[in-house]
Amino acid sequence: MQARRGARRERRGVVARRAPFFDERLRDVVGVLFAQNVKIRYRGSVLGIVWSALSPLGMAAVYTAIFGPTFARYYGGSHVLYGAAVYIGLVLIGFFIAATSECSTVLVQNGGLLNKVRIPFEAFPLATVSAHAFQLLAGSVPLLLVLSLVMNRDPLHVLLLTVPFAALIMLAAGMGLITSAAGVFFRDTPHLYELATFLLWVTTPVFYPAAIVPARLAHFLVINPLYAIVQTSRDLVLTANLPPWWMFGLALAEGALVLALGAALFRSMRARFMDHV
Amino acid sequence: MISLRGVNLDRRTREEFDDDVKSRVIALLTGRARKARRKTVLADVDLEIAAGEKVALIGPNGAGKSTILKVICGVLTPTSGVAEVRGRVAPLLELGAGFNPELSVVDNVALYGVLLGLDRRTIDARLDAILQFAELEEYRQYPVRALSSGMAARLGFAIATDADADILLVDEALSVGDESFRAKSRRRIDALWHAHRTVVIVSHDLALVRSMCEKVVWMDRGRIVAVGRPGEIVDRYVRAVDEAAVNALLRAVDIQQPR
Repeated sequence: MQARRGARRERRGVVARRAPFFDERLRDVVGVLFAQNVKIRYRGSVLGIVWSALSPLGMAAVYTAIFGPTFARYYGGSHVLYGAAVYIGLVLIGFFIAATSECSTVLVQNGGLLNKVRIPFEAFPLATVSAHAFQLLAGSVPLLLVLSLVMNRDPLHVLLLTVPFAALIMLAAGMGLITSAAGVFFRDTPHLYELATFLLWVTTPVFYPAAIVPARLAHFLVINPLYAIVQTSRDLVLTANLPPWWMFGLALAEGALVLALGAALFRSMRARFMDHV
Repeated sequence: MISLRGVNLDRRTREEFDDDVKSRVIALLTGRARKARRKTVLADVDLEIAAGEKVALIGPNGAGKSTILKVICGVLTPTSGVAEVRGRVAPLLELGAGFNPELSVVDNVALYGVLLGLDRRTIDARLDAILQFAELEEYRQYPVRALSSGMAARLGFAIATDADADILLVDEALSVGDESFRAKSRRRIDALWHAHRTVVIVSHDLALVRSMCEKVVWMDRGRIVAVGRPGEIVDRYVRAVDEAAVNALLRAVDIQQPR
């Protein structure tokens, strides 16, 4: 097997060693880069993580003050419920945008290192997404769990929250692979991606209820992979009824699709990275 | 064991201006789009290095010496030809490249070691030995930015040479630190030299090449000019450099004296 694979590569003129997508070193490298990212972000203090969870709370309060009077009626007239819905949306979309935006510069920033040692490229975006996921899980998720238990007293809801979270992390990893590859070839990727995230921000019902979207456009909202993730998470935390099963399926399918797409794209571009970093 | 057979390497030249979407779209619209130019940096390189051999690459700047090291450690992939490397490769990085100044010494040992290709368990087991060699045991939890540059260099050297590699790649700079550490690092290099390790160095220090290497590869403009015993190749190289210098001088004189 080994010999045959070697022979095939020999014909293609490729170094035999740099081949498998999941490099055996990948786990170790992602591990140290993740630790570096998290340690620098928090300087070893738990307060840093708590702090990062506070900022969406503050933003949700501002949204509630301004939009609450208008939108609370979609939440049974409750400002608190509207504020909680906004908070959940902010936390999820905030994670996605922060992680994938940071990915768009991560390979170029480490170009010096990549020119000296052989490091699996995908370790950089994956470590970045992991560090943001850690922040999400350690900073904001505990609050969501408590909220869910208080609102509907159903541990099944808490358990089912893992579904939209798994979908979200797949989605971010896939998109992170895409933005990091794009960042290598186009140095203005961060600016262009900012526009894309604005589109995402507007088309995701974060601070407005999905119900106000005109029926003709509502069908298209489903295309936005964050839509199903945000909606299922909200239903699970804030309401006593379970979201429809197809919503879980949609969230997972979209997350898996973006991850597969990102991995395929990254893999096909990888050989050309060294000409650009 | 390192075997390069018919290795060619083309790289995109760096003068391109279409590294972002905006300028590329503008170039397309104004019809000034062109294919990226490529430059041959290695041409037809055939090189066999047996396990345990000590090899030096010599030649002028831009000859492709460092590029060969990059191909050997897998950073660059040949455009055509085959690069086969058996054994674990450790590049001796420029001192401190790969350190994160904000992290502690201990964390940096893990980071640097993993980047060099060691697995986590090996590094954790070797941590004390590495710190002891670098004489930094009391600085475990200090951030690397608090170390002097000499201390950081010692740490880098200690990790890189502790990495139990079969093939060591050295791009210049063999000795680091103050006088006492220099003697110590020298001894470790000697030990590596005498152990059955393959060492490939790029060096402009011809005296060192002559005294320490078994095989010399002379390169110029991406090609191998000659391979052989150090005495012979270094002499030929020095003669060629001298001749080139004399010719350049004569030409300069020629130009300055209008006939």
